[in-house]
Amino acid sequence: MSVVEAPHLQEQVTLLELVDRVLNRGVVVTGDITLAVADVDLVYVGLRVLLSSVATLDEAG
Amino acid sequence: MSETATATGWYVFGIVEAGARVDGVELVRNGDLAAIVSQVDLAEFGHEALRERLNDRAWLEDTALRHADVLQRVAAEHAVVPLRFGTIYDERSDVTGLLETRGDDFRAALEHVRDRVELGVKVWIDRARFEHSLADAPEHEESAGRAYMLRKQNEQRAAAEAAERLAQLAQGLHAQLSALAVDAVANRPQPRELTGRDETMLLNAAYLVPRGDTRLEAGVAGLQAAYAELGVSFEITGPWPPHNFVDTRDGRP
Repeated sequence: MSVVEAPHLQEQVTLLELVDRVLNRGVVVTGDITLAVADVDLVYVGLRVLLSSVATLDEAG
Repeated sequence: MSETATATGWYVFGIVEAGARVDGVELVRNGDLAAIVSQVDLAEFGHEALRERLNDRAWLEDTALRHADVLQRVAAEHAVVPLRFGTIYDERSDVTGLLETRGDDFRAALEHVRDRVELGVKVWIDRARFEHSLADAPEHEESAGRAYMLRKQNEQRAAAEAAERLAQLAQGLHAQLSALAVDAVANRPQPRELTGRDETMLLNAAYLVPRGDTRLEAGVAGLQAAYAELGVSFEITGPWPPHNFVDTRDGRP
């Protein structure tokens, strides 16, 4: 998948921007959703992943 | 389409009006609204599988990018209400049910974002340089010795004062930029562990502006010129789909 091809993106989307938008924002639907992953606070899941990968990079560097 | 052994779910990217035409994804229509959907394999997107995969950074990044990409393409042509990443239903009828039960919210949100785009502004600050600029600017003329003493005292207070000044600066910048936008949101600045940058993120904001309106960009350029000497730098991104301006839960339209 290449996001760079999207016509209106000025630059490649970074995960920092995704955290502010896709992962942490947008309408959350609840109620009769069967697979209610929207209830998971994805930004914290994501941050934990990111923080641990940053730490890994630091250790590797 | 025949039934297969693979169970599929319905991943919902966002909501548009029923007349919208969107390539590469399906639309589930109900009345005047439509959900942008993609059928997904529940072996990958089922509840347990998803929890597992959220810990896979490459998968998370790819999947979040796809979510962003679909909405970006739709937003170029239509008013769209982005849903948060990871909204998945078991049945197609659940999707029409969503359009039914949340229809009024979606219609109001579509009106709010129609012909408008989201711009992201991150403001970064070199804290050492900022604190230095504070210490170097005594409020009154002083003798050299007195100024030195004051500076030593100031250094001890500098961190506390700087924190206060930074908060005021962030609020002031956000207020000035908000005046150039239809709607504005200040998100929590991201921590350095996440950004990987030496500078501190001072402001992490999003602004909703009319499509094609350049006043916010001009405003950012003006502030950049005014604040560069204080060690403040601005980063503007977009146009984005209006991810930050459709949340109906916290009182936003």
